[in-house]
Amino acid sequence: MVKIFHLSWKGSLLKEKGMKTLFFLSAISAIIVIFSIIFFLFRDAYPIFQKEGVVDFLIGMRWYPTGQPPLYGAFPLIVDTLLVTLGAMLIAIPLSIGSAIFIAELATPRMKAIIKPAIELLAGIPSVVFGFFGLIVLVTWLQITFDVPTGESWLAGSILLGIMAIPTITSVAEDAISSVPREYKEGSLAVGATRWQTISKIVVPSAISGITAAIILGIGRAIGETMAVMMVCGNPTYGLIPNPITNVFAPIKTLTATLGIEMGEVATGSDHYSALFGLALILLIITLIVNILATLILGRLKEKQRSGSKRLPIISFELAKKIKQSLYLFIGIVIIIILLMAVGIIPVICILIIIALMYYSLKKISIKIKQKIAFSIISLSIIIVIIFLGIILAYIVTNGVGALSWEFLTTGPSNLGRSGGIFPSIIGTLYLVAGAIAISLPLGVGAAIFLHEYTKEGIVTKIIRAGADLLNGTPSIVFGLFGFAFFVLYLKFGFSLLAGQITLAFMILPTIIRTTEEALKSVPQSLREGSYALGATKWQTIRKVVLPPAAPGILTGAILGIGRAAGETAPILFTAVVFSNFIPSSLLQPVNALPYHLFTLATSIPGSKENQAGTALVLLLLVIGIYLIAILLRNRFRKNMKW
Amino acid sequence: MITIYQQKEKQKAGMMIISIIVILALSTIWFSGCVQQQGQSGEAIVLIGRDSTSGTREFFWTYVMGKANFSASLLEKNSNGAVQQTVAQTPGAIGYVGLGYVDSTVKALKINNISANVQNVLAGTYPISRDLYMFTKGNATGPAKEFILYLQSTEGQAIVTQEGFVPLQNTAHYNTSGKTLSGTLTISGSTTVLPIADKAATSFKILYPGLTITVTGGGSGAGISAVSQGTADIGMSSRDLQTSEQGKGLVKYIIGKDGIAIIVNPQNTYAEGLTLAQLKSIYLGDITNWKDLSK
Repeated sequence: MVKIFHLSWKGSLLKEKGMKTLFFLSAISAIIVIFSIIFFLFRDAYPIFQKEGVVDFLIGMRWYPTGQPPLYGAFPLIVDTLLVTLGAMLIAIPLSIGSAIFIAELATPRMKAIIKPAIELLAGIPSVVFGFFGLIVLVTWLQITFDVPTGESWLAGSILLGIMAIPTITSVAEDAISSVPREYKEGSLAVGATRWQTISKIVVPSAISGITAAIILGIGRAIGETMAVMMVCGNPTYGLIPNPITNVFAPIKTLTATLGIEMGEVATGSDHYSALFGLALILLIITLIVNILATLILGRLKEKQRSGSKRLPIISFELAKKIKQSLYLFIGIVIIIILLMAVGIIPVICILIIIALMYYSLKKISIKIKQKIAFSIISLSIIIVIIFLGIILAYIVTNGVGALSWEFLTTGPSNLGRSGGIFPSIIGTLYLVAGAIAISLPLGVGAAIFLHEYTKEGIVTKIIRAGADLLNGTPSIVFGLFGFAFFVLYLKFGFSLLAGQITLAFMILPTIIRTTEEALKSVPQSLREGSYALGATKWQTIRKVVLPPAAPGILTGAILGIGRAAGETAPILFTAVVFSNFIPSSLLQPVNALPYHLFTLATSIPGSKENQAGTALVLLLLVIGIYLIAILLRNRFRKNMKW
Repeated sequence: MITIYQQKEKQKAGMMIISIIVILALSTIWFSGCVQQQGQSGEAIVLIGRDSTSGTREFFWTYVMGKANFSASLLEKNSNGAVQQTVAQTPGAIGYVGLGYVDSTVKALKINNISANVQNVLAGTYPISRDLYMFTKGNATGPAKEFILYLQSTEGQAIVTQEGFVPLQNTAHYNTSGKTLSGTLTISGSTTVLPIADKAATSFKILYPGLTITVTGGGSGAGISAVSQGTADIGMSSRDLQTSEQGKGLVKYIIGKDGIAIIVNPQNTYAEGLTLAQLKSIYLGDITNWKDLSK
C-alpha cells in the first residue's frame, strides 16, 4: 500500500517536472523565434553589408539594385518610411485622443456601449482592404481634388495609415483615460473646476502614460505596415525624398513597400536579394528602437507617478515651463514654414490672423464657453473618425454586395478571377488560420502559464517578456521574409501551406501570450492558495482550478489571433500563397487566401472591379465577424466574473 | 433633478445625432462632387513602370533606354495589370505593358508610326517585342515536357493568341494518343506569362484528368529561382537568364512572343504616337510635360 502510494507520488512528481519543462520550453519559444528572425535576416543581409559597407548602405542616396553599377542606398527609403509615419501620426493622434476623450468622458452610457465596440471592431479591418479602398477611391480623389498629376503620394499613404491607426490608438487611450481613479475627477469637480478643466488638467495628465503607449503602438503599426502603403504611395523607382521635403504630393517609397514589391521577382542569392534582407534588418531595428523608447518612456512615467512629489524634480518647474514654451514656439514655427511652402503666403497670414483673434477672444470668454468650444472640437473629432470609417465601409459594402451570391462563395475563380467565385481562397484562409492557431495556441498558453504560474518576476520573466514584446512589434513583412528564408528556402518547404501556417503562428504568438496572461491574472490568488491547502499539486491546481475560469479569456485571445491571421497578407506573400484556382491536398502545397486574392485582383487584374469589391466584402465580414465574437465573448466573460 | 439631467442628456444625444447626419450628408455631397469634377492636371507626364526585378522592365531598359538610367520620378508597379490600371486612372500617365494588357480603358501609342498589334509584331515591323520563356531544370521530362509541347503546339498557340500575345509560326497539332499523365505539375513565375499558362493548364487538365496542375505568379525571378531549387517544375519568364542565374542547369523553351505596348490615358489628346527617341527622352525625364512633345 505504501509502495503504491509512493509510486504514484513519484509519478506525479515526474509529471509535475515534465509539465514545468514543457511550459518553460514554450515560454522560451518566443525568444527562440525572435533570435532566429534576427539571425536569418542578418545571415542573408551580411553579403551586402560586406560588399557595400554598412555606412554606405545606410546613407546611399539611390536605390537601384538592377542598374549598372547597381546602387544600394537605403537612405531615401528610410526617410520616406519616417515621413509617411509622421504624416499618419499628425492625422491620427489628435483625432484618436479626441475620440478617446469623447468615449471615456462625454458619451452617454448608451452611446459608449455602441461606439466603443464599434471602434474596436474597426481595428480589425485588414490592411489590404484599406489599400484596396485607397487605390480605387482615395488616390483618384486626391488627384482630382488637388489637381496634381498623380494622387499616389506621401499624403495618400499618410491618410490611409492615419485612418488605420485611429482605432488602435483610440481604444488603448480610452482604456487609459477610463482607468483614471474616480476620486481624482470627483476631487477636481468638488473644488469647483468645470468638466473641461477636470478633463484637461486632471484626467488626461493622469492617463498620459497609457496615452503615450497608445501613440507608440500606433507608430509601430504605421512603420511596419506594408500592403496599404505599397498600394497607394506610388513607389518612385530609386526611392525619392520629397523635394521640397514638405511636398506631401510627392510619391514616396517606404522600406516595407520596397520589400513587398521587389521580393517576389528577385533572383535568390543575388546581391539584390541580400540587400532586401538588409532593408528588412533596418526596418526591424527601427521598430526595436520605437519599442525600447516606449518601454523607457513608460517606465519613467510610472516611476514619476509612483514617487509623486516626494522626489525633487530633475529640472526646476520654471525651467520646465521655459522648455515647454520654446518647444511650442519651435513647433509653431515649423508648422508655419510647412504651411508657407504648401499653400503660399496669403492663406498663411489669414490663418495666423484667425489664430491670433481666437487666442485673444479665448482669453476673454468665460470658462463655460471655453468648455463648450472644447467639447465641440472633441465631438467633431469622433464625428470625423466615424465619417472616415463610414465612407470606407459604405464603399466596400455598396460595391461588394452586388457580387455576393451563393455561386461567388462556392465556386472557383475563372478568367483570372474576373468572373467566378472565391471558394479556394476561403478554404485556403481557413486552412492557414487553423494551422496557425493549432501551433500558436499551445505555445502561447504554455508560455503564459510559465510566466504567470511558475516563476516570480525576475530576470527570466523579464527576458521572455521582452522577447514577446519585440515579436509583437516586428512588422508583418519581416515575418514574411524570415518565413521565406527559413521555411521556404532553408528547410525546403517551398511555397507551402505549412510555411504560411508557421509564419502566421509566430506572428500571432505574442497576442496569445498577452491575453492568456491577462486571463490568468484575473483568477484570484486565494483560489490557488485554497487548492494548495487541500494538498493539490501545482499542475493539478493549474488544470483544475486556474484554467477553467481563465478559459473564456484565453479563447478571446485565440479569436483575436485568428482574426489577425485571417486578414494579414504580408507574412504569407512570400511563403504560402499562389493566385490560382487550387485547393491544397497536402501541407506542402501552396494555397490561395482571401487577402492575397484581393491584393492580386486589385493590383494585377484589370477589369475585375466587381469581384474585387466582393472579395473585400467577404474578407471584411469574415474578419469583423471573428472580432465581434471575441468582443461579445469578452463582455460576457467580464459580466459573469464576480469573485 | 434627475429627470432634467436625463432630458438634457437626451437633447444632447439628439443634437449630436442630427449634427452627425448633417455633416455626413454635407461631406458625401462634397466627396461625390469632387469625384465627378474633371481635373486639368493631365499635362504633366506621370511615368509608370514595372519594378526593377521585372522581366518586362529589364527588356524595356535594355532595348528602349539603351541601359541608361530611368528618371527618378518613375513610379513602380509590381505587375502589368497594376501599370494598366494606374494609367487608366491617371490622366497624365504613360506606361509600358505586354500587348495582352491593352484594352479599352487605355490607349496604345504608335511607335515609329507602327501600331502596337499582333500582326505588326509578327511582321517584325513593331519595334518593341521580345520572347516569352519557360525554364525547366535539365531537359523537360514527364508532365513538364508534355505541357511545354502542348503550349508550343497549334492548340497552345491558339491560347497565346487569345490572350493577346504573339504566337509561334509553323506549329503542329498536339498529339495525346496513348499518353497518360498523373501526379503534380507546378508552374510559377512571370506575371506576363501567367494568363497563358493559367488558360493552358485548364485545357491541359481536360486532356489528362489524372494530373494536378498549380499555376502561380510571383514574377520572372521568383519562377526561375523556384525551378532551380526544385520547388517548381516549370518557371515562366519574360526575360532571359541573368548572370547570377546561369550555370544552374536550366533549359530554355520559347513559347511565344510579346510586343510591349506603350499606353496612355484615353483622355490624353497630346500624343497618338511616339518615336523611340521621344519615348526614351520621356523615360529619361528630359520631357516632363505632354505639351513639350510637339515642340
